[in-house]
Amino acid sequence: MTASEQPAQPILPLLEEGAGEITPPLPSIADGVEHLLDPRHVTLSRIVRWLGAGAVSLGSLVPLGSIVFFASIPGWVTGILPLLWVVGTLGLAWSAHRWPVIEHRHASYKVDDNGIQIRQGVVWRKEINVPRSRVQHTDVSQGPLERRFGLGTLVIYTAGTDHAKIELHGLDHATALAIRDHLVHGEGDAV
Amino acid sequence: MPSEPADSAVADRRLHPLSIFFGFAAQIPKLVLPGVFVLFSARSSQWAEWQLWAMLLLIPYTLVAVGRYITLRYRYEPHEIVIRTGLLFRNERHIPYSRIQNLDAVQNVLHRLAGVVEVRVETGGGQKAEATMRVLPVAAYEEMRRRVFAGKAAEAVAEGEAAESVPVPASTPERTLLRMPLHDLLICGFIENRGIVIIGAGFGLLWEAGLMDRLMGRWLRVNGPGGGLPEWFGGDAPGGGLSAAVVKAFLGQGELPLTRIALALTAFAGILLLIRLLSMIWALLRLYGFRIVRAGEDLRTEYGLLTRVVATIPLRRIQTLTIREGPLHQLFRRAAVRVETAGGGGGGDGEEESTAKQREWLAPLIHRDALPGFLREVLPEADLSTVEWRPVEPRAFRRHLKKSLIADVLIALPFVLMLKFWTLALLAVFIAWSVVAAHLYVRHLGWAVIDGAVLFRSGWLWRRVSVARFAKIQAVTIHESPWDRRAAMARVRVDTAGARGEAQRVDIPYLARDTARALYELLSGQAAQTAFRW
Repeated sequence: MTASEQPAQPILPLLEEGAGEITPPLPSIADGVEHLLDPRHVTLSRIVRWLGAGAVSLGSLVPLGSIVFFASIPGWVTGILPLLWVVGTLGLAWSAHRWPVIEHRHASYKVDDNGIQIRQGVVWRKEINVPRSRVQHTDVSQGPLERRFGLGTLVIYTAGTDHAKIELHGLDHATALAIRDHLVHGEGDAV
Repeated sequence: MPSEPADSAVADRRLHPLSIFFGFAAQIPKLVLPGVFVLFSARSSQWAEWQLWAMLLLIPYTLVAVGRYITLRYRYEPHEIVIRTGLLFRNERHIPYSRIQNLDAVQNVLHRLAGVVEVRVETGGGQKAEATMRVLPVAAYEEMRRRVFAGKAAEAVAEGEAAESVPVPASTPERTLLRMPLHDLLICGFIENRGIVIIGAGFGLLWEAGLMDRLMGRWLRVNGPGGGLPEWFGGDAPGGGLSAAVVKAFLGQGELPLTRIALALTAFAGILLLIRLLSMIWALLRLYGFRIVRAGEDLRTEYGLLTRVVATIPLRRIQTLTIREGPLHQLFRRAAVRVETAGGGGGGDGEEESTAKQREWLAPLIHRDALPGFLREVLPEADLSTVEWRPVEPRAFRRHLKKSLIADVLIALPFVLMLKFWTLALLAVFIAWSVVAAHLYVRHLGWAVIDGAVLFRSGWLWRRVSVARFAKIQAVTIHESPWDRRAAMARVRVDTAGARGEAQRVDIPYLARDTARALYELLSGQAAQTAFRW
């Protein structure tokens, strides 16, 4: 069984151009050390958040403008509404810029022979441990932006209820593939 | 029949001809609402006309039932059962024996008269049964059981996993683990309080049919205050007259309508009693002759007066086990035991869901003294007799109390502001109650790690104990809310397959951070060491 899987390993990195150099650290992916996510993920999630913040603050201009100009409301409200908008927009901008960094500081993963451990969350913190033998199957997905940055999302499926699907964003694509291989090879012995 | 040659296994088999009838009958629940609708909307028009509509409604369902009977074929391959359906769009489903979790049989009165049985083939995945054979002759069901379980045993041996799943030859001695005598059935019905479901279903039906308006409208016109409320549906809520009068009395306008309050209370008590009675009847019909048997590594349950159900639960399919004891259970010194098996039930449509639920009712009611012996049979590798419960952090009392105090104040504040100041006394009662409740709640929280499993208990009025075996743990998580962090605590949660609803989880709150961390490491380590098989 293991003999049939070994030749399969080099094929996968070949699909991904330039991923060939990542192959040497492959055996050491299960090092049992906590790793932060890829720093490029901070940039990516900043872009996403900037887009979201821009959409919200520009989108809210229309109802705001129509209230200020057309609704018959006391003058002090007309003064305060734009102020609120400015404060809100500044808050969104700050969070778009800062939050990814804070999030990045609080997210990590650890892979060892037993399985994978994922730490997430800034305010409500959570650490999840999935044994290798419980991984039903895995996906490595890449959105358009992620492809741009060479990142990937590892999706782990278990037979559980709350954690039937566990997503780990912000991995280097080759790392995600390596973790996937590590986790799935473990399953071969269990079933 | 049991001694037929092996090569006849590949021959195609068909459903019982009565399948047309039962297949059609199964659609009737779907027909009731449109049927009633037709009845009412066409009430004023000609008799023949609504008959025509009814016939039109029936045609597609009849066609479906006939089509299914004509096209369905199944056969036994060496490793799988193959079910073919469809005339235009052919569908061939292969279900390996090793994947079949349960073969459930349901037999209602008509089935029994005709000597047929409805069989549900359930596998691990999915919410619904993998295949429903509606209906098979009883002999064919016996054959299916025999072939599937023999096939499973053969697979198990072939995989070299004889350690856990011993083959189940027909001669395995059966041990009855639990029987429910009549008075237990009645107690069970009384405790479970299913009457409300029956009444709810009845009301729902009336409502859908638009009967409710007519009924209530007439009733209100006769009994309602001041000659009735012409637009009660759009205007006041039902009973609004009484509650409005009560509120007025409290605000110092008008008198308390004492007789009407008494009447309403009596009616309420009467309804409660009726609900309990209905529930007892429900239990009698549904669970009559409840028996659970252990045959080798399988549990088999049988129950039902009108509809007879036979269900099999392989022991190793049990994901979690929960023991429940409500206040009434404690009064009668009884407990209820449920298990979660992966697959089947959960969000399925009506009927199928309910059988899956029933099956997971390992013991609807069991005497407390019989419980340890019963659990030893059900969870052989986990010894529950020597559990040493460990408490959560004592500081949890203050945190829990704080939460309920905030809720108290939020609830009471509008009343205090709106009404007179004597409502402050009410608030005081709330607070005293919260202190007692928080104390009891925290005292009854507990957890334990025994050989092969982790246990969690909670609730002081409605007590429950959940057991998750290491081999069935899918993932372990540790959670820290901001308040947890301030108090240096954490919560450890265990995820298993098929855990529906909060009630079945091992989810231990208020642990000291170090304890939580150690437990988390221990559980994930133990889970990693065991291999998970469905």
